[in-house]
Amino acid sequence: MQTLDVISVNLWQILISLGNLCLLFFMMKKFLYKPVKNVLAKRQAELEEHYVAAENAEAEAKASRDAWEEKLAGAQSEADSILKKATDNATYRGEQIVAGAKEQADSIIRIAKSEAELEKKKAEDGIKREIVEISGALTEKMLGREIKAEDHKALIDAFIEDIGDGND
Amino acid sequence: MKSKSRLFKAVDILYICMMVVPLICGITLKVLTKPPSEGISITGAQIYFTIPMPIQDLPVTESQVNSLIVMIMLLGLCLFLTHGLKTRDISVRQHLAEWIVESVDSLVKNSMGEYFANFSAFIAAILALSGFSSLLSLTGLMPPTSDINVVGGWAVLVFVLITYYKMKCGPLQYVKSFGDPVPFLAPLNIISEVATPLSMAFRHYGNVLSGSVISVLIGTALQGLSRTVLGWLPGFLGDIPFLQLGLPAVLSIYFDVFSGLLQAYIFAMLTMMYVSGGFPMELYFERKKKKAELKAKD
Repeated sequence: MQTLDVISVNLWQILISLGNLCLLFFMMKKFLYKPVKNVLAKRQAELEEHYVAAENAEAEAKASRDAWEEKLAGAQSEADSILKKATDNATYRGEQIVAGAKEQADSIIRIAKSEAELEKKKAEDGIKREIVEISGALTEKMLGREIKAEDHKALIDAFIEDIGDGND
Repeated sequence: MKSKSRLFKAVDILYICMMVVPLICGITLKVLTKPPSEGISITGAQIYFTIPMPIQDLPVTESQVNSLIVMIMLLGLCLFLTHGLKTRDISVRQHLAEWIVESVDSLVKNSMGEYFANFSAFIAAILALSGFSSLLSLTGLMPPTSDINVVGGWAVLVFVLITYYKMKCGPLQYVKSFGDPVPFLAPLNIISEVATPLSMAFRHYGNVLSGSVISVLIGTALQGLSRTVLGWLPGFLGDIPFLQLGLPAVLSIYFDVFSGLLQAYIFAMLTMMYVSGGFPMELYFERKKKKAELKAKD
């Protein structure tokens, strides 16, 4: 079998090789570049889509979070107002109760005082009467005769009145 | 993985066959037609048959056949890589395909600029054809890149592209560009214009061919050395060239893999530099603007 020389230029071979490279270029373009570029573009589009969806979801989440925060803040203030009302109520009631108790105590003291006064008066009357009787009996005994109780009663009464006044 | 349909797998196997079968056919053809070689024989490609053509007969040689093998393999590879592309949960081969496309794209954009972004597929074709042609020598076949005609064809195409982009501002501008710094340098400029494709072709072809030649020389030398040093071994043991183990493999890694891929890269880089460097971009856009203004006036 024949062989070529190490360097042998052949026009047709050069043209064939040129054509081969052109052919391979079109093959690469059609079978490697086109599908890969297509799939890359598709992926890019999908990514964009996902980004948009993610952004929408984020905005939604933010909106709902804001709404909840607002609601929460409203609830807080409501709770505060309720607590304040309750506190006010309780304070008012307490004051009322204390005032009522004070009044009651005052009235009890007043009644007790008046009762004590009455007792005192009663006791004074009782003592007065006894003094009158005793003094009457004493005078009777001292004078040795019976004296008219009515006569001296007025006298003694005046006397005791004086003593009572001096005592007061 | 199990969800893949039977058809998908069948098509996959078809594509893999597209990559493997041509290689096996080429090796078989080589084994069947290779003449028994004695000693050192450095020749060009084998001629299978010759087709009579005008001007010059066309010999169908090993390098033509091997180029065809590489192209069929590349077609199979492209189809295999882009088979079953998805937008998510992507497979390893899709990663690979995307990596190839994106890295060649960025290479082209970095060295040629945005305007030449369409060149990406062409550069990828050059890289793949040149790289795989050189790597074909790993299988024992003759690398088509060690044939001047093959690389010459690519260089002519690159020359056509360079001239096309230089002509974009009109033929007058193209002729003017030869007297660029000073008019009397025009002959030198013309020589350098012609030298561009020649130097590209010879650089690539020479590097690959010299690798093959050195491999053959060293292989033959080691065979002889083995015969003289280990010839005393009894029986057939003396005929085995033990010394051919080792060194040729290392050389093959350098000459076939490293040098071949490097030459592919250099060829692609030079293509990009010459095409983008020869294109007077500012002038072109200026002219375009002026033309648009003229049209607007009409």
